[in-house]
Amino acid sequence: MEISEERLEKVSRVKMKGRFDAHTTGEVEKFLREIIKDGRHCIILNMHEVPFIASAGLRIVLVLARELRKEHKGDLRLALLQPNVHRVFEISGLNNVISIFRDLGTATLSFSTDIYKNPKPESL
Amino acid sequence: MQQVFNFPAETSILEKIGNIAADLGSKIGFSEIEIGDLQLALDEVCSNTIIHGLKQNPALNFKMVINLQADEIEILIHESGATFNLEDIKQPDINAPLEERPIGGLGIFMAHKVMDLVELHTNADGLKTLRLLKKK
Repeated sequence: MEISEERLEKVSRVKMKGRFDAHTTGEVEKFLREIIKDGRHCIILNMHEVPFIASAGLRIVLVLARELRKEHKGDLRLALLQPNVHRVFEISGLNNVISIFRDLGTATLSFSTDIYKNPKPESL
Repeated sequence: MQQVFNFPAETSILEKIGNIAADLGSKIGFSEIEIGDLQLALDEVCSNTIIHGLKQNPALNFKMVINLQADEIEILIHESGATFNLEDIKQPDINAPLEERPIGGLGIFMAHKVMDLVELHTNADGLKTLRLLKKK
């Protein structure tokens, strides 16, 4: 997994490249926890180059989104999902509780607008 | 057509298993969605075997047998690791709010959702066979 962070004023955009499975979740979680430790609590995962996600990846998204919302008034939001990755969110029902955006701009803006205080995910 | 593989209990082989699933799905003429579903189910059950059954011990192996028919694909995964019962795995409540969403159980739940059949047999020697079936 290749993973990198782009810091905007308030939002961190994390670009991932590779499979998000049981083999790679450890390094993804470590990377994201370092960002959170740095006081960055508004995080977007750019999943444009993630061809596959397994339940191990879903668990990290679920756990960190929950922590960020509850403990830091922040959130973990997703953007640019490939269709089969989006389908895994639908099968698991996580698309109902995790905010998913079609593009990075809207995902970034969502952290500045009140309408996303109770995020409603977009469908593809 | 039958294919037999032996894999070490390492998560690094999951990508290879994903490629095998894609290849098989193409051969039988599955749609892209069906291929993605097959990849998901195989990844989930193999991750379970590697992590929970064989405790990620690279000295241990598991065997995968694939029977490809014109209209269905059958996958058998044989391993001798820790025993479990599919019925013991709690069905996650996928309508629960985020704060109440359970962390575990999603993998097998999703495998059941995308395959036509997921069943487990354990023989007298403790050898487990997980059988998955997907029809065209």
